[in-house]
Amino acid sequence: MTAVAISRAALILTVAALLAVPTVLPLLGSPFWIDVVAEILIWSLLAASVNLLLGYVGLLSFGQALYFGVGMYGAALSVIHWGAGFWGGLAVGVVAAMIMAAIAGSVAVRLTWHYFAIITVVFSLILYFAAMSAKPITGGDDGISFSVPDVVSLGGLKLSLADQSVQYYTILLVVAGFYGLFSIIVRSPLGVRFMAVRENDRRAALVGINVYVTRYVAFVLAGALAGASGALFAFFGRYASASYMFYHVSGEAVVWAIVGGAGSLLGPLFGTGLLIVFREVISTFWEHYLFVVGAITVLVVMFAPRGLAGAWNDALQVLTRSKDAGTSDTTASSGEQDLAKSTTDATRGGSGA
Amino acid sequence: MSGLVLALAVNGLVWGLIIALIALGLSIIFGLLDIINVAHGDFFMLGTVVVLVLATSTGSYWLALLLVPVIGLGVGLILERVIIRPTIRQASLTIVTTFGLSMMLQEGVRATYGAQPRRMAAPIEGTIPLFGIDYDVYRIFAAAFATLCLIAFFLFLTRTKLGTWIRAVRHDPETATALGVPVARICAITFGLGTAMALLGGAIAAPITTVEFRTGVDILPFCFMAVIIGGLGNLQGTVAAALLLAVMEGLVTSVTDPTIARIVSLGFMSVVLLVRPHGLFSGATR
Repeated sequence: MTAVAISRAALILTVAALLAVPTVLPLLGSPFWIDVVAEILIWSLLAASVNLLLGYVGLLSFGQALYFGVGMYGAALSVIHWGAGFWGGLAVGVVAAMIMAAIAGSVAVRLTWHYFAIITVVFSLILYFAAMSAKPITGGDDGISFSVPDVVSLGGLKLSLADQSVQYYTILLVVAGFYGLFSIIVRSPLGVRFMAVRENDRRAALVGINVYVTRYVAFVLAGALAGASGALFAFFGRYASASYMFYHVSGEAVVWAIVGGAGSLLGPLFGTGLLIVFREVISTFWEHYLFVVGAITVLVVMFAPRGLAGAWNDALQVLTRSKDAGTSDTTASSGEQDLAKSTTDATRGGSGA
Repeated sequence: MSGLVLALAVNGLVWGLIIALIALGLSIIFGLLDIINVAHGDFFMLGTVVVLVLATSTGSYWLALLLVPVIGLGVGLILERVIIRPTIRQASLTIVTTFGLSMMLQEGVRATYGAQPRRMAAPIEGTIPLFGIDYDVYRIFAAAFATLCLIAFFLFLTRTKLGTWIRAVRHDPETATALGVPVARICAITFGLGTAMALLGGAIAAPITTVEFRTGVDILPFCFMAVIIGGLGNLQGTVAAALLLAVMEGLVTSVTDPTIARIVSLGFMSVVLLVRPHGLFSGATR
């Protein structure tokens, strides 16, 4: 088998496993884990938004929790005040997050590297403090809760999130939809421009790519992913809270993306999955699991900076050694290898200019 | 009323001097190693916890105050060797490494010391009248001690061989290497020194703040604001910015609540980042 075929088989297997979750897990006597998988799917979109910026455009954002929070409140407030349904609430959340990203991004993407990381944190902190003090609207730290509307209500057919399986499949559908969009975008000419800017922003500018606009578009799209994650989480938890806008949430998303492997489409999904499963298992007998998460983060950066996706690509190369040198898969992975180096180069060039 | 405003401004000044010390640690680490240390606030937190534990076990705050920077230097040197040096080549990922370190420090302290916030009794009791209100003597001492430490640090940087080496490596690492300066060792010492300053700041601040595993999270944004507004790597600028910010927050707090004050300073910082990314005070960039 070629590397492409193995990857395709693994993807089909993953999708099949995700589809089977609500039927298989109760048979194993643990329906609780259905919600854990649903949570993984939701959070993985936040990790994907970090990944879009870091892995594809070479910008490390430490403030994606802001757009998560805006998506969360967009969904919650539109359900509470406007009586929006599930899809309406989701749309409002995503659009609100994109607007927020469009505002913040217009200034943030003028900066690169350290300065970009700092300004994204600063923006998220400003809105975090604002949301914390605007208690009448946001509920502050305690948050606001709401009762979820039906997903579908056509004549006699009513599907409600109160049903665990319906909730799971709805989340899976939305998350899969966003991954599909993400995949189309990174394969499009726009995605190629993203990677050109990541590899070398000066060279990209010289061949006629507008670096600022490219980064800006990526930032707004990343905002949409984070907003979708937040909106889904609001429906999942039936509440929204300002505490999710704090930079620790952004930091966790960065950790998930890097453990999974920045620069690969599905890596962050597995990174998120690994760490959330880990949290659920460890926290049942040791409440200080975050200590281990911190240690894992440090170890991954030290020994496997390309994350799970990097390990997977290495394994594939060993399995299919020399059979298919030069296919799109191997070029993609060598591109990832240089990610850490090239982001630094690009930035140094950018800040020196 | 004006007495209260003045007292809040003085409060801000006291905090500003302590923050300046911590932010300087952050600034030298950034200037030399080019890493953004997200765990710096947690070094401060570690300082408050260690001084409280040492002061209760030895019975003397002053002994603890002397020991904390030494412990900080040791912790910094070990962490530099174990965590920072192996990842320094992945410059774009050091924020992530130090974020992991931050999680480890917070959870480590929570697991060993406990989650309960505590208060530490001031080692110097009593108040003196200041602008018509009674002001804690310890706060005056803290301000004076922090000022002494700042002066000592700048003297160390300009008057000693080690300090000159640190400035040399910061200015031009290649030439410094060519001239025989042990660059790797200087980097390690700088990280140790920066860590020691954060712990020392914690030790000074412990009696006027709460001691718990989360205090670093509040202090970190403030230190970053001072470093950015002062200009990344511009040491005098960092001190000036810390004082400016703290007094400003003190004054804004006297008219509205502290959260608004924090939003105002963060907004100020964003403007500085966008308009003058090398800081308010031009001159030495890094």
